Amino acid sequence: MSQFQVWLLPLLILSVTTALAIPLSRYLAWIMDGRYRGPAFLRWIESRLNTGPQSWSQYAIAMLLFNTLMFVFGFVVLSLQRQMPLNPDGKGMLAPTTIFNSVISFLTNTNLQHYSGEQCFSYFSQLFFVCWNMFLSASVGFCGLAAIIRGLRGDKHMGNYYLDMWRVCAYTFLPASLIMGVLLMADGVPLTLQASAKVATVEPGAMGPDANGQVQEKQEIARGPVAAIIPIKHLGTNGGGFFGANSAHPFENPSAWSNFLTVMNFCLFPFALVLMFGRMLKQRRHAWVIFGVMMTMLIIFIGWAVFWDSLRPNPALTAHPAIAGRPAVPALPVDQSLGNLEGKELRFGTSAGPTFAAATTAIACGSVDCAHDSLNPLAGLSPLTGMWLNCIYGGKGVGMINLLLYLIVGVFIAGLMVGRTPEYLSKKVEAREMKLAMLALLVHPIMILMPAGLFAATDLGVKSTNNPGPHGLSEIVYEFSSASANNGSEFGGLNTGWGLNDNPNPAPYSRPWDIATGLVMLFSRFIPVIAPLALAASLAAKKPTPFTVGTMRTDTFTFGCLLFGTIILLGALLFLPVAVLGPVAEHFGPIPFGG
Amino acid sequence: MTAHLRACLWLLVLTVLLCSVLYPLVLYGIAQTVFRNQADGSLIADARGRLVGSGLIAQPFTADEYFQPRPSAVSYNAAASGASNWAASNYLLRDRVAQQLGPIAKYRSGVKAGQLVGPDLERWFQKDRYADKSGIVAQWAALHPTVAQNWVKADKLRGEYVAAWQKAHSQEVAQWVRDNPDTPEPKPEDLAVPFFTSFSKDHPGMFPSAVVTRSVSKGPRTEDKVTRNVSEGPVAEHNTAEGKTTKQIEPVKAGAGIQAVFFDLWLQAHPDADLAPVPADMVMASGSGLDPHITLGNALWQLDRVAAAWAKKTGRDQDTIRGEIEKLLRQMSFAPLAGLVGVPLVNVLEVNLALRERYGKARE
Repeated sequence: MSQFQVWLLPLLILSVTTALAIPLSRYLAWIMDGRYRGPAFLRWIESRLNTGPQSWSQYAIAMLLFNTLMFVFGFVVLSLQRQMPLNPDGKGMLAPTTIFNSVISFLTNTNLQHYSGEQCFSYFSQLFFVCWNMFLSASVGFCGLAAIIRGLRGDKHMGNYYLDMWRVCAYTFLPASLIMGVLLMADGVPLTLQASAKVATVEPGAMGPDANGQVQEKQEIARGPVAAIIPIKHLGTNGGGFFGANSAHPFENPSAWSNFLTVMNFCLFPFALVLMFGRMLKQRRHAWVIFGVMMTMLIIFIGWAVFWDSLRPNPALTAHPAIAGRPAVPALPVDQSLGNLEGKELRFGTSAGPTFAAATTAIACGSVDCAHDSLNPLAGLSPLTGMWLNCIYGGKGVGMINLLLYLIVGVFIAGLMVGRTPEYLSKKVEAREMKLAMLALLVHPIMILMPAGLFAATDLGVKSTNNPGPHGLSEIVYEFSSASANNGSEFGGLNTGWGLNDNPNPAPYSRPWDIATGLVMLFSRFIPVIAPLALAASLAAKKPTPFTVGTMRTDTFTFGCLLFGTIILLGALLFLPVAVLGPVAEHFGPIPFGG
Repeated sequence: MTAHLRACLWLLVLTVLLCSVLYPLVLYGIAQTVFRNQADGSLIADARGRLVGSGLIAQPFTADEYFQPRPSAVSYNAAASGASNWAASNYLLRDRVAQQLGPIAKYRSGVKAGQLVGPDLERWFQKDRYADKSGIVAQWAALHPTVAQNWVKADKLRGEYVAAWQKAHSQEVAQWVRDNPDTPEPKPEDLAVPFFTSFSKDHPGMFPSAVVTRSVSKGPRTEDKVTRNVSEGPVAEHNTAEGKTTKQIEPVKAGAGIQAVFFDLWLQAHPDADLAPVPADMVMASGSGLDPHITLGNALWQLDRVAAAWAKKTGRDQDTIRGEIEKLLRQMSFAPLAGLVGVPLVNVLEVNLALRERYGKARE
C-alpha cells in the first residue's frame, strides 16, 4: 500500500464530481426556472399539477399537505405487506412502531433503518415504498431550496410546489437514475423478481448447523430489484439500503468502480445545487465562495477520517502501556499495514471506507460502505461532526438551506462588529430574520442533545448499546444526530430494531427508539425548511438598499473565512462537550475496555 | 383547497406510475435481456451445472485444501448481512481476533522460528499458574466475564453442561443470587464466572471442551471403530446406518479450544514472545459479512497449508503443487481500479473452484 493509493481515491471522487456538477447546475437552473418545454403529454401533465403561483405560506402548506399524503400512502403500503404481490419469500408484517419509524424515516429523506432490508421488506415494499419515497423525499428538499432562492432574488411568488416536485422528479432524478442503473447492472448489481437463491456450497455442509442443530446444506442468497433502488438511493442522498449491510453488501456495491460511482452520485446533486443557487440568483462568485468553504471542510473531514482509519492500525490489536493500575497490553501478531480493516470491504480500495464515511455524513446521504461503529475512535468523530454541522453540502437542498442560516448568522455577527445594520443580498437582516434563523438552527442541537441525554441517562440507552464505555455514548449520540440531520447512517451496533411483528426476540427498547427517533426526524426536517421559507419571503418583501463602499461583499475570500469561522464556532460551542465525552475519551483509553 | 387536493392526488398517482412501475420495468427489461447473469445475482454453476454460489458473495470454507475467506460476523448468511459493529475499544473485538490467532500463531525468530505456539501454550496452561496465582481458568473468567458468558451461550451443549453444574452446586448458586439480587433465577450464562471458578478448582489445568465421538460400524462381525476428537467447530450429531456421531462436553487438557481461548492471556504472560504477524484481513471481519475477496498476501500466507493438503490428496510433489497454485493465484488476482486505489485481491470462491477443477477430479 502506498500513500498514493490512499489519497488518490478521495481526490478522484471530488474532482470528477465537481467537474460534472458544473454542467448539471446549468441544467437544474434551467429546469427550475421552468424554461424546459416538453412534448404535449408532459405539458398536459404539468397543467394538471399547476395550481398557480404560491406565496411562501401556500408553498409550505402544499408541502405539508403532500407529505401528509406520503405518510398515509407509505403507512398503507407497509402495513399491507403480507397481502401485497411481489413477495416471493413470504415476508410478514413489520412491527407497528417500526412501520411508524420507517414511514417517517423515508418521507423525511433520512432512511434511518430500524429493520434489515433483506429480512423484512418484500419486493413490493422496496419498489412502492422505498423507491417511490426516495424519488419524492429527495425532491421535497430540492423544491424547498428552489423556493427560498426565488424569495431571496425577490420574486413575487415562490413558484408552484406540485409543479416543482414533478419537474425535479421526472426531469432530473429519473434520467440520471436510468443511466446509473444501467452502469450498476453492468457491474453486477442484480435486478430480479425471483425469490432468494439457494445454492449448495462447494464444501458440503460448510454452513454448519442451524439453530436446531440440523446441518444446512445450502446457502440462501437474498436478492431482488436492487439495481432499481441503488441509483436513486444515492442520487437523492437517501441512503436506505436494500440490504442490512447497505452499500457494504456486494450486491449493492460489487466493485471499486461501483463504489466510485456511488460516492460520486451522492455528492453530485448537493454540489450542483450550490452552483444552481449562484446561477438562479445571478451571484455566481458568491456561490463559488460558499462552494469553496464547503469543499474545504469536506476535504478536512475526509482527510481526518482517512488519516485516523486507513493510515493507523485498529488500536484493539496494538500494544498499550500500563495505565491506571492496569498492566500493559501486548500487541497481537497482526499485520495492519492496510489500516483498520474491521468492518471494511477489500474490493473498494484502501481508503474507501473512511472516505465514504466522511462524505456520506457531511452530505446527508447516510449510505454506508463500512461499519461506522468499527471505525477507529477519532475517525468516528468525522461522521459525527459532519452530521452536527449538517451544512457541508448537506442533503438534497436542505444542506444548502442550513448553510444559508449559518450565513445569515455570520452576516449578523459581522454587522455587529463594524456597527452597521447587517445586509444580505442588499436586503437588511433584522430582528424577524434573526429569530427565524435561530429557530431553524437551534432545532438541530436540541433534537440531538436532549433525547440523547435522556436515553444515555436511563436504561433506554444504556441497555441498548453493544459497546461499553464512551463508545456506547457515541452510539446513542450518533443515532439522534443521524435522525436529526436526516442522515440515516448508524453506529449499527445499537439495538433499536424490532423488525417483523412476529420477531420472538426484538431489541428490548425498540419501541421507545422507534418513536423517539421518528419524532426527531419529523421536527428536524420540517422546521428547518419552513422557517427559512418565511425568512426568504420576509427578505423578499424588503426594499433593496443601494450598494455602497460600506456594503459587505459576499463574494470574497474574506467572506469565505467569516462563513467558515461562524460554522466552526457555532458547531464547537454546541457539540464539543459531547465529542470529548464520546470519541475523544475513547481514543485516550483505556483500550481494550470492558469484556 | 380542492385544487390543492386534486394536485396532490395527481402528483401521487403520476409519481407512483413513473417511479415504482415504469422506471423499474425499463431497467428490468434491460437487465433480463442484456445483463442476464448479473441480474440474477452472478450465480456460478459447477461443471455438472449445479449452482455452487455467487461470485460476489463469500461462502465458508473450512477444509485445509481450500483458501479460507475473511471471518464473517453473520456466519456467511447471505440472507442476513451485517458487521460485528464492535468498537476498537471493545474487548470482544480483541478477544475474537486472539481466539482466531491462537491455533495458527507461529514464532518469527529464535530457535522455534516457524513453529506453532500452540504446544507451548498448552504446556503453560497445564501448569495452571498466571500472575503468580494458580487457577488460569478462574482468573480468565474473572478478568473477562462477558467473554465467559458468551462462551456458555455460544452452544446448547455448553449451556446444558453449566446447567448440570448449577444443579449440583446449590451453595455456589445461592451465594451468587445473594450477590446479584436483581437476578433471582439465573440462566446458565449468568453463572459463567462462579462456574469457571469452581471448574478451575476441580479440574486444574483443564478446560471444558466438546469431544466428538465417531463410531463407525464396519459390519456385524468386526468391532466398531471409535474415534474421539476435541472439536471446537460446529458438529452436527447424527445417527446413520454407517455409524453414530455424538458430541459432549468434557474437561480436556489440550486442543484448539484451549489455544484459542487462552492465547491472549498467554501473550500477556509472555510479552517478549516474537510472533509472526498474520495479514489483517485474515482476522478482521468485513462490513457485510459477505466480502468475497481476500488480499493476495493473505492467500500466499495460506498457500503452504493449501498446497500440503492437495499434495497429500493427489499424492504429488508438494513443491510442484505449491508453485502451480502460486502461479494460479497471481493469474487470478486483480487490484481495485487497476491498482490505483488498492492492493491485489483474489476471489476466494473462484480460486477454490479452480483448485477443485484442477486437482479434485482425480479424487472423484
